[in-house]
Amino acid sequence: MALLEPSTITILVLTGIFSSSIIFLISAGLQIVFGIQRILNLTVGSFYAIGAYVGITFINFFLKMGFSVVYGLLFLILAGLSLSFLGPTIERGVLNFVYKKEEAFQLLATFGLVLIFEDMIKLIWGSYPQISDFGILTYGEFRFLDTSFPVYYFLVIISAFLIAFLLEFFIKKTRQGKKMRSVADDIEMSEGLGVKVRNIYILSFTIGTVLGTLAGALIIPVTAAVLGMGIEAIVLAFAVVVIAGLGSMRGALLASLIVGLLQAFITFIFPELTTFVIYLIVIAVLLIKPTGLMGKEI
Amino acid sequence: MKKILSGNLFFTLILIALLALVPYIAPPFYVYLTLTSLAYIPVVIGFNILFGYTGLLSFGHGLFLALGMYTTAFLMRNYTMENLEVLILASALSAFIVGLGVGYICVKYTRIYFALLTLAFGMVFYTLLIKFTPITGGDEGLRITFKPLLLGLDFRYLPHLDFLFQPYYYYVLGIVIILTVLAYIIVSSHFGLSLKAIKENSEKAEALGINIKRFRLYSFVISAIYTSIGGALLAHITSHVTPIFSYWTTSGEIVFMTLLGGFTNFFGPIIGVFVYTLLRDFIMSTIIYWRILFGAALLLIIIFVPGGISEGLIRIYKHFKGA
Amino acid sequence: MGLLEVLEVTKYYGDFKALDNVDLKINRDERISIIGPNGAGKTTLLNLISGLLKPTRGKIILEGKNITNMSPSERCKLGIVKSFQIPSYFPNLTTLDNLKVALISSLGKSKNFLKSYQQDEEINNLSERALEVFGLYERRNFLAKDLPHGDKKLLDVASAFALRPKLILLDEPTSGVSIKEKRDLMGTIMSALKEMEISSLILVEHDMDIVFNYSSRVVVLHNGKILDDSSPELVKANKEVASVMFGS
Ligand SMILES: Nc1ncnc2c1ncn2[C@@H]1O[C@H](COP(=O)(O)OP(=O)(O)OP(=O)(O)O)[C@@H](O)[C@H]1O
Ligand SMILES: [Mg+2]
Repeated sequence: MALLEPSTITILVLTGIFSSSIIFLISAGLQIVFGIQRILNLTVGSFYAIGAYVGITFINFFLKMGFSVVYGLLFLILAGLSLSFLGPTIERGVLNFVYKKEEAFQLLATFGLVLIFEDMIKLIWGSYPQISDFGILTYGEFRFLDTSFPVYYFLVIISAFLIAFLLEFFIKKTRQGKKMRSVADDIEMSEGLGVKVRNIYILSFTIGTVLGTLAGALIIPVTAAVLGMGIEAIVLAFAVVVIAGLGSMRGALLASLIVGLLQAFITFIFPELTTFVIYLIVIAVLLIKPTGLMGKEI
Repeated sequence: MKKILSGNLFFTLILIALLALVPYIAPPFYVYLTLTSLAYIPVVIGFNILFGYTGLLSFGHGLFLALGMYTTAFLMRNYTMENLEVLILASALSAFIVGLGVGYICVKYTRIYFALLTLAFGMVFYTLLIKFTPITGGDEGLRITFKPLLLGLDFRYLPHLDFLFQPYYYYVLGIVIILTVLAYIIVSSHFGLSLKAIKENSEKAEALGINIKRFRLYSFVISAIYTSIGGALLAHITSHVTPIFSYWTTSGEIVFMTLLGGFTNFFGPIIGVFVYTLLRDFIMSTIIYWRILFGAALLLIIIFVPGGISEGLIRIYKHFKGA
Repeated sequence: MGLLEVLEVTKYYGDFKALDNVDLKINRDERISIIGPNGAGKTTLLNLISGLLKPTRGKIILEGKNITNMSPSERCKLGIVKSFQIPSYFPNLTTLDNLKVALISSLGKSKNFLKSYQQDEEINNLSERALEVFGLYERRNFLAKDLPHGDKKLLDVASAFALRPKLILLDEPTSGVSIKEKRDLMGTIMSALKEMEISSLILVEHDMDIVFNYSSRVVVLHNGKILDDSSPELVKANKEVASVMFGS
């Protein structure tokens, strides 16, 4: 049995926090749409996958054009942001038609979208894994005790925190953010106060989309883009939001950390039990506190 | 009232006659698809008792499908259990036990929480199947290497496909007819009406003295048993059971078939099974990108005809009758 | 003889105290009306008695038995049934089937898995009779959601009556219908009470004529407290009640 030496623990903690930041972005995408539209948007997994594929295409293109690899992170962020157009398209084109339907149908509509995106990716990029020319060690390594980590990990962790902070600021402090909160609290009242709910819906869905695509773009120096990655991501993100409490942003931050760290450690100790343990926790949380760690009352 | 009933009966008899003829008139490939569809009928009927009649969307019904399949494969391999009747009963029994446990927890919640919880249980079961290799065969799953006895009769001398397309086909047809009639009786019973009441307005149902949690649990267990029996029938057709049947995409397929045919009508899901199985194979063999089509179909159904094909047919029928 | 006792019941919604230490004793064969301005806590009190809500403090006793922690369906079996202020029914079932659900439950038949409810003569007869009493028989095959508002209220009340409770709770059975219809509706309900031999009633009502005509005792709620509890004549004469109710 592999003992957990201090250096192993450090590595696991760090990779755990790194995956936490990616998981957080995806689950924040789920949360914001659930908070405003009350729809559990499975499509966010697909956005994550598309973000990864487009990120690779983007960065490989720029590197071929002769741009320095130093701008890599920038290109990835650009790739994620450039996909924001998907938000309004899907929101107006599909979700708009299911707001009045039963919850079950809303969930299923996003499941339909997942199926569609799954094949679109296959159509565009084929079935083989896509790899970027942007190596994880581009930004060098960071030495700590007797181990070393890619600096890129830190950059992503910092970016995720920055995004979390910006989101919080946006929702709490800006006019649009305040409107969003009022729609989340009471749609009819906000409409009465002159808030255009339609626009808020578009906005929140677009933010949800971009969070997904950004997460996907940022992960590609670490792993290849493969078919089915969207579905895997949604399974994890879903676990996070249940543990967090549907709709709670801070809960998502905490739960992402829990899930990311657990994932790192369990994968190391009992590789195949990861999903099992995470879902056992999901069930336990639903049983003990169905509203999640930080959710509002149902 | 009587007229509608006899009309229904008439169509049902014609449908059964047609199904009975399939092995004689259809090419082997289509016999195979029809047989697969038949095995899925208890699965969707079970799912819809929960969804269409009780108002609970399970996104983890693959669990019970896989449970029936693995129970069958496990008993055949490890205990050389041969009687199909015993295997079916064993699958029903395991679904009863697991359904009671899982259901007890799940019916504490409704709506999206119920959907999420069932999804989580499906995923847990999936990982268990992958992990407990000594019992479940892990990723590879289990192969069924011999043919079961049907009503004690030994058909092992027949080649595999002949076995499937003749004795086994009619055996499955018989079981499915029995299960369908039984389900129809259940949903038309006092109990069935009470379930509908719970779906329509659970607060009122409770105020009228119906123990809604208990009834949801009954519905859950019945649903699990049906789905598991479907799995037991399917196992001999695929002769290979794998964890994928418990994965959430399989659960999604069960939901899809039901919606496609129409959850508001008792016979809707059955139509859905046939259309889905036939179309999927046709589409998958001609178009690689069948998911796009299914996704789009799902969206169109949800947006325009939530009652699925059966609602569409009824609308068309009314249109022409009215014109 | 005592039928129901509400003992020192307090109910909070979050920080908001909707009922404050309410005591109420109800005898058999009494027809009580509860009145009070909007938000006084009338619906809350009925929901506590029927079990849809649990009190924050206090007890509810039925015929000497503590029922505070029982679910609505358990209380229903013991004979307490409530109709809803906002009519509650099964929208996609027919009027007739709505009643059948109630009857099946009250006759303890809802666990009958194999018998067709359509072919149960006892249920058919009883449900049709009840619909006749409430004047809904002509519309028995309408889906409940397609009924006019007044009929929806009647349907809600009818399904509560069908359970033949010991004590029936009616929450504003006439709200939302025109003044003229109100009298008819109330007349129908009262004759149904007699017909179906239901003798104990708690009625929440805003229309004072109805209150004073149909009840033997009036309870006045205000800000979650009982302001007065006596005969219609005495309550009518109480100045404080008048000022609370009519702001005069
Ligand atoms: N679920 C709830 N959560 C929070 N507050 C509630 C809730 N239900 C009722 N209230 C509050 O409790 C108070 C009493 O409500 P209740 O419905 O019992 O009044 P009522 O006497 O029936 O009024 P009305 O005549 O309008 O029907 C009101 O101020 C109401 O706003
Ligand atoms: Mg009220």
